[in-house]
Amino acid sequence: MINVNLIVNGDAREIAVDPRLTLLEVLRENMLLTGTKEGCGVGECGTCVVLADGDPVTSCLVLAGDADGVHIETIEGLASNGELSDVQQAFVKTGAFQCGFCTPAMVLTATALFRDDDQPDVENVKKALAGILCRCGAYPKILEAVAEIKGVQT
Amino acid sequence: MTTYVGTRAPRVDSVEKVTGSAIYGVDVALPGMLHGAVLRSPHPHARILSIDTTAAAAAPGVTAVVTGRDFPLLFGAAIKDQPFLAIDRVRYVGEPVVAVAAASEAEAQEALDLIRIDYEELPAVLDMRFALSDDAPLVHPDLHAYERGPSDIVPHTNINTIYRYERGDVEAGFAAADYVIEGEYSAHAISHVALEVHAAIAQYDSGSGGYTLWVSTDRPFLLRNELAGGLGVDSSRVRLIVAQVGGSFGGKGVPVAEAVAVALARHSGGRPVRVEYTREEDLVASQHRVPAIMKLKTGVNRDGFMLARSAEVLWDSGAYTAYTVGVAIRGSQTIVGPYRIPDLKILSRQVYTNKSITGSYRGYGTTQVTWACETQMDEIAVELGLDPVAFRLQNGYEEGDSYLNGQIMHGVGLRETIEKTAVEIGWGAVEREPAPHLRRGKGIATMIKPTMTPSSSNVLINLAQDGRVAVICAAPEIGSGQDTVLAQMAADAIGVPLDDVSVPRTDTALTPYNGPVASSRTTYHMGNAILTAGAEIREELLGLAGDTLGVDAEGLELRDGAIYDLDSELRITLKDLLAKYSGEGYSITAGSRFSSQGSPLLKADPGEEWMSSIFWMLCTQAAEIEVDIETGVIRVVKIAAAADVGKAINPMTVEQQIEGGAVMGASNAILESFSYRDGRIENGTLADYKVATIQDLPEIVPIIVESVHDEAPYGAKGVGEPAAAATPPAIANALYDAIGVRIKDLPLTPEKVLEAMGELDAGGA
Amino acid sequence: MKRLREFEYYEPASLDEAVQLLSTAGDGARVLAGGTDLVVDMKTGRMRPSTVVNLKRISGLNGVEDDGGGTRIGALTKVPVLEASPLVQQRHPALAQAASILASPPVRALATIGGNVGRASPASDLGPALMVHDAHAIIAGVGGSRDELVEDLYVGPGETSLVPSDIITHFILPQPPPGFGSAHVKLGKRGSGTDIALAGVSASVVIGDGGVVVDCRIALASLGPTPFRATGTESLLRSGLPTEALLAAAAESASGEAKPIGDMRASASYRTRLARVLTLRALQGAIESAGMRVAA
Repeated sequence: MINVNLIVNGDAREIAVDPRLTLLEVLRENMLLTGTKEGCGVGECGTCVVLADGDPVTSCLVLAGDADGVHIETIEGLASNGELSDVQQAFVKTGAFQCGFCTPAMVLTATALFRDDDQPDVENVKKALAGILCRCGAYPKILEAVAEIKGVQT
Repeated sequence: MTTYVGTRAPRVDSVEKVTGSAIYGVDVALPGMLHGAVLRSPHPHARILSIDTTAAAAAPGVTAVVTGRDFPLLFGAAIKDQPFLAIDRVRYVGEPVVAVAAASEAEAQEALDLIRIDYEELPAVLDMRFALSDDAPLVHPDLHAYERGPSDIVPHTNINTIYRYERGDVEAGFAAADYVIEGEYSAHAISHVALEVHAAIAQYDSGSGGYTLWVSTDRPFLLRNELAGGLGVDSSRVRLIVAQVGGSFGGKGVPVAEAVAVALARHSGGRPVRVEYTREEDLVASQHRVPAIMKLKTGVNRDGFMLARSAEVLWDSGAYTAYTVGVAIRGSQTIVGPYRIPDLKILSRQVYTNKSITGSYRGYGTTQVTWACETQMDEIAVELGLDPVAFRLQNGYEEGDSYLNGQIMHGVGLRETIEKTAVEIGWGAVEREPAPHLRRGKGIATMIKPTMTPSSSNVLINLAQDGRVAVICAAPEIGSGQDTVLAQMAADAIGVPLDDVSVPRTDTALTPYNGPVASSRTTYHMGNAILTAGAEIREELLGLAGDTLGVDAEGLELRDGAIYDLDSELRITLKDLLAKYSGEGYSITAGSRFSSQGSPLLKADPGEEWMSSIFWMLCTQAAEIEVDIETGVIRVVKIAAAADVGKAINPMTVEQQIEGGAVMGASNAILESFSYRDGRIENGTLADYKVATIQDLPEIVPIIVESVHDEAPYGAKGVGEPAAAATPPAIANALYDAIGVRIKDLPLTPEKVLEAMGELDAGGA
Repeated sequence: MKRLREFEYYEPASLDEAVQLLSTAGDGARVLAGGTDLVVDMKTGRMRPSTVVNLKRISGLNGVEDDGGGTRIGALTKVPVLEASPLVQQRHPALAQAASILASPPVRALATIGGNVGRASPASDLGPALMVHDAHAIIAGVGGSRDELVEDLYVGPGETSLVPSDIITHFILPQPPPGFGSAHVKLGKRGSGTDIALAGVSASVVIGDGGVVVDCRIALASLGPTPFRATGTESLLRSGLPTEALLAAAAESASGEAKPIGDMRASASYRTRLARVLTLRALQGAIESAGMRVAA
């Protein structure tokens, strides 16, 4: 077992874990935060994306030890006191999801994008979101949501 | 008068999905739950000589090891040919052979390494044409002995489905035609790639001999019945509790992880067992779209009217039939396209092969046959010097035309879908050479799809004393937004605010029977049931209001949670009425069953009614593509996609389906395919089976067309199933327009483009 | 989920400690940098290391610095840092470009330059880009530290000349001379270019007086068992004027030097064609980045 200082959604705690667990397993199974998903386990689908020190990363490829001391944000940390964030509200308004399985990853990645740049151009938005598959094909409405957020933030 | 129907109401599953609190099948966890892992066949065809599980059974954490000998049962939707676990032989690479349950998934997976299996390899059938030949070994020597439904087989062959249809005299039609074209087209195996993999939890209760499953499926009752049928128990002994579904696209209807979970649960003393497929297992061992080789011959006159068509379709069900029997029959029908052709002959055959199981996939056979039909339509247009748009309009169905079986077609917006799509794509004008190595072109394709007929839906609607309404039905939300659409219809049928309506999750012990959430049937059938039940509730509420207010109920209206008189004066809110005047424990429950059976709309020639459809879906898509003539890469620039949906209950969710279908169709056509070598799939991982990302997104313009349908709830038909079918031929027709090459075998890879241009030797890998 | 097998896990604080741990564990040891190759390999079963040594606590292995005109890049530098670094963009454009299309953003955020080189995939994105800048790798090992040209590290598909106890610590890219330009192009399955390369080409040129190609480098990926330099093609270009005709001849020559296999991703003949097409595009990009135009 190794000791990992896990900081998730602002809450820090020291946990003892089997070093062979990935961050994704720790989040879903030790912390019961099931909003982060597994779709492939090898970094190809993006549904496991969380923010690590502000950057979207595929948590299925991060060993537990590597998460030590890193500020992890999962989808569960976005809404505060029942109030959806701007990004979440835009996704709702434009219908930027269908089955919703990729939605946590899309919302988190859009959140990170807007923190860096409140008026990202479409090409940069597409590049940023390219690592997350949406089989339902909600891409057009995801771009509409982004346009909505840009409108809200001007 | 409606408040919510027809509006872009935010989806009722919005908050749970954008906050990550939605619980999908893979998220469900139960106390005491065990975890399963599966050892799979490495051979496409082999006899199992011996299995030694001793070491595995003794491995740390392992609680059960189950083989087909321990659980020698068969299931199947149309033909009961599939074992829960392979019994005496394996028929495809990836077939489940041994299942292990353990305290943790890691322990279960590690125990697999300790299992020893002796196989005797058998000659494999790896090609569907070979499967037809007399030399081919039989994948299912006992086909004739299997329990099966009413479709036809050819005993003692690999042919598990055979269907013939004739009308008129095709030979005479061909003889009379000015021009006869023949071609062969093929559509390949692709995977659904729902982002949520197949997973199921099963729990066995030895007291009742029954099973409870927590699943993610689009057809709870059909799946339940298929499992019960396989287990040999009464269907009431199997209970399915359905979570939020992370995508299905037709793939989550047959027992996949469920079969293994049930086998393990039976040997786990009452503890629940979860089986979650890895993505690799999902890609190889769930189902693929049914590959098809289609020979099509059409006779047409110089003026553009089609006289005769004959089609010979060969389908590949893979090792077991799953849902493919229906695909082979219903799919073959629509190879005629949405066109009036007097003389027809269709022969459809489906064979077993020793390859991955195939099954229902968005479109249910129409994506494959539309590929053949719409490619040939363009070939004819080119040959005769006709405009592809005009040629389709000329032959296309209109309201009141007769379908193949004599059914009078009702609700036919085909013309509008073609015309609007053509305008949107800018038909007739293309910037041919945007750069020295790039060429552009435009193409169009149209299609028709029936819905499952007859079928029925039941609903129970409960209105509680606080004004909340629960629409209790077995229609799992698979992503298409239909929880929202059903809620909108219920809200307006009764007259309550949408926010007060919920659609609880399906539990087959509680929710009444519904057909599958497939075939784009839910809005129509469940919608009609909701209209009836909702009207009952409305009537009772108006009666209560009338009594309370001392007026005739006929003089009152209930709208969006308030009672108005005929001058639109607000008399009382519904919540006030219920809170103050309804009596102890007041609540209304109304139930309704809607079935399309017996509808006069289905009338057809005697003996052919089964071919009718309670409504028809017509879709057209046009694509503009750009091809790099040096690399062969096709980039889809724009897709205009129109669907005749009858009435858009929620235009936003309809757009979601049209757009989503176009993305999927383009991805299917260009990026996706399986590479088999000696019966083994080489690219069974997302690293090498690619689906479109947002960077591959073309501009997509969804066009909603609304034709009139007299029996549809608020006029609404369906939209999801056909949405990916017209895209591949539209793209291929655009490719022809761009560089004059015709590709008849999907997918449209860069190598095929270059080969068709004569720039690459076929003969590569 | 795919679960990992058990392994011993260490986070040494110094290079010496890391080398010691690796050397003790022998063949079963693996270094963990970003995890984007190692963890994937562990999940697919391609690798089952008994010992994993995470380098993250070791200081000094991260960052892009000016090194007296050249550039010094720590092996643990994350790939997006290379993509965004003004120093890399200006001096070594091919490397910045290769970094920008390595995997998809959430995977790239974890990936390291050392990891990509160490993985030695024939489809490596960064390997060819480093090669056309004459990059060296500084390697710490049991016998101390040593210096090797990156192009000499590659031994076979997935194999370098490193032993399990070797650790790449830095890359040194010499200062590019005046008139230098470089570019990297790759074709993956999807148009975005972030997929595993079906073929990839890096090119660098030094344009001298009169617009002549004083020197050049061309490195090919997915066109042989390892990334390699098309030295015959380089000779063809040296001392020539970069006209359309010369570049076309160079592209043809590169496709002749390519030794691709056919596999499920692409046939050998398609790869051969891509060698020609992408070499032309990479050379055009390199010349443009040197501030020149291709003459007719």
